[in-house]
Amino acid sequence: MQAEELYGRQLCLTPAEAREMPATTVKLPSMQVTKTLIQCCRCGSDLNRQLAQLPAAQFYCYQCLTLGRVSTLTSLYHIPEPNKFKADTTLTWTGQLTAAQATCAAELQQHFSKREQHLLWAVTGAGKTEMLFPGIAWALAQGWRVALASPRVDVCLELYPRLQAAFAHLPIALLHGHNPAPYQYCQLTICTTHQLLRFRAAFDVLIIDEVDAFPFAANPRLAYAVKQARKPESALLYLTATPSQALLKQVRHRTLSISYLPLRFHQHLLPPIRVSLQPRWWAQFQQGHLPTKLRRWLQQYVTVHQRFLIFVPRITQLAVVQQVIATAFPTLKGLTVHAADAQRLEKVQAMRTQQVQYLVTTTILERGVTFPGIDVIVLGADDAVFSTAALVQIAGRAGRSAQRPTGLVRMVVSHYTRPLKAAQRQIKQVNRKGRRLRAKMSTLSATTEV
Amino acid sequence: MTLPWLLSWQTWPHPVVCPTCWQTFERITPATACISCGRQLTRRQMCSDCQRWPSQPRFYNQALFCYNAAMHDYFQRYKFQGDYRLRAVFAAAMQQRLATLAADCVVAIPVTPATMQYRGFNQVTGWLGTGLNDPVGLQTIAQTKARPQSQKTRAERLTTSQPFSLSSTFTVTNQRVVIVDDIYTTGRTIRHAADLLLESGAKSVIGLTLAR
Repeated sequence: MQAEELYGRQLCLTPAEAREMPATTVKLPSMQVTKTLIQCCRCGSDLNRQLAQLPAAQFYCYQCLTLGRVSTLTSLYHIPEPNKFKADTTLTWTGQLTAAQATCAAELQQHFSKREQHLLWAVTGAGKTEMLFPGIAWALAQGWRVALASPRVDVCLELYPRLQAAFAHLPIALLHGHNPAPYQYCQLTICTTHQLLRFRAAFDVLIIDEVDAFPFAANPRLAYAVKQARKPESALLYLTATPSQALLKQVRHRTLSISYLPLRFHQHLLPPIRVSLQPRWWAQFQQGHLPTKLRRWLQQYVTVHQRFLIFVPRITQLAVVQQVIATAFPTLKGLTVHAADAQRLEKVQAMRTQQVQYLVTTTILERGVTFPGIDVIVLGADDAVFSTAALVQIAGRAGRSAQRPTGLVRMVVSHYTRPLKAAQRQIKQVNRKGRRLRAKMSTLSATTEV
Repeated sequence: MTLPWLLSWQTWPHPVVCPTCWQTFERITPATACISCGRQLTRRQMCSDCQRWPSQPRFYNQALFCYNAAMHDYFQRYKFQGDYRLRAVFAAAMQQRLATLAADCVVAIPVTPATMQYRGFNQVTGWLGTGLNDPVGLQTIAQTKARPQSQKTRAERLTTSQPFSLSSTFTVTNQRVVIVDDIYTTGRTIRHAADLLLESGAKSVIGLTLAR
């Protein structure tokens, strides 16, 4: 095994596999077993003694199995991060940040240099990735190791080409569960948050994109992974458009600093959510009828060739909804996508390249994907799967291009729910702040022009 | 649920797997299975694979489930990923079938010491009890497997030489022996074990595998 492969990592190996290790390797116990406690040293889970039991008084961790089993038969092997990089880290991105974006970007860079925790709350479509570029470029120039992690693999896959274009001469490692390519030691890493479990005290700057998304928000192991993967003295940046109450509480208690950008990159406000009360929409679909209002909307889309997304709460509803639409509008081309779909990535790509006019999908496409100039329809937005954050994110899929900065966001419900009301309120609130910022900026630019 | 059962005050046996997932496993009906290897056929006869084996009247195999995609996933997670909790999924089914075979002696196919070292358990005895190799009975001759059976082609598997030996204190003379294994694919492994037991004087040998 090459020493490079272990820099800042912790790999779980049996004694037989670990025979030829570089001299600097540190061997750490993989599990902590006492009379009252069994804990996995990779993911930090407290384990149930009965479930974690192997024969002959051995134990294993059943929580982080998918990354290779940690057990008392194995040890963790680690080499402290030496920051041995010599790649060209020049920023080759030539785009321009707006004034508001530039302010945020400067703040981020400052927090990186002070190695602090920070939250960037920017509305959907504010250009979060571009705002990171100056900060990342600065950190890389210092010889720091940087990682950009997200709970969603789709987000990673969308970030990778954008960052590779921005740092054209820098090799970037892309790590996720479906990537067959072997691990590479790179100064900049893009990975899913699960992959962070394989790192130990590696990163000087760690950026977590979509921090409120599943599975990161509900999984204490991933929070532990973040703590383990960054160096004790390092910068941590959370990115989100819909921060959780827990994060906002940290902000209120002044344990987390915040940058706030309530305006999209094209300076337009977020499209508001339009609610349409149709208590029998699902019953109608089941009988093979398209609800009248929906028919009117789709008719419009057919005539103007408007592309759109339809969200439904359950995977089983996908086929039904698409079938009914396909029967009513045979010329309209569309596909269905869900998380377990084998052709998920291809189908999303087909929507990107405009081969199909619409997708029927579940919440997997709620965030991290951009289809320019689309409209959005949510069927059954009163279902419990749609949280406030999910609804705000879904609404944020519309109006993301400068050519068509507005879009229609329609939600079909049988009754109003708290999350729906809260989502409407949140969008209204953000738009109020955005309007204020826009007014301030226009007066500023007016004064500078004079 | 019957009245005697209700009155016995037993605890309700919680299903280990949800009904939807359980349905993805295909049970083999013994009435229409191959008489020699236990594969699911349309009627009870000998399948084409078994006709290629030299006839051995004192051995036949029974299997509980078809080796389908669900079973493949199960073994991937239980055996190769090493999630020992998953032994509970088929423990009851295996033990019930084993009880109906009325054997004088039950032998589990062992794993090599090297496998024991990194997997930490024997997948067959996991269903039946301790999860360790039987202290007496079949033993592996090799310390490590150069290549696992699952990575070989059919022809390569068939030329594999006898991998087992019997421990010296173990006698099976004139006994009905049941050999338990996880998967019957070509039959090479379990037939090697059966040959060894028959040579050392067993009256008959029945193979029992979870999947075929």
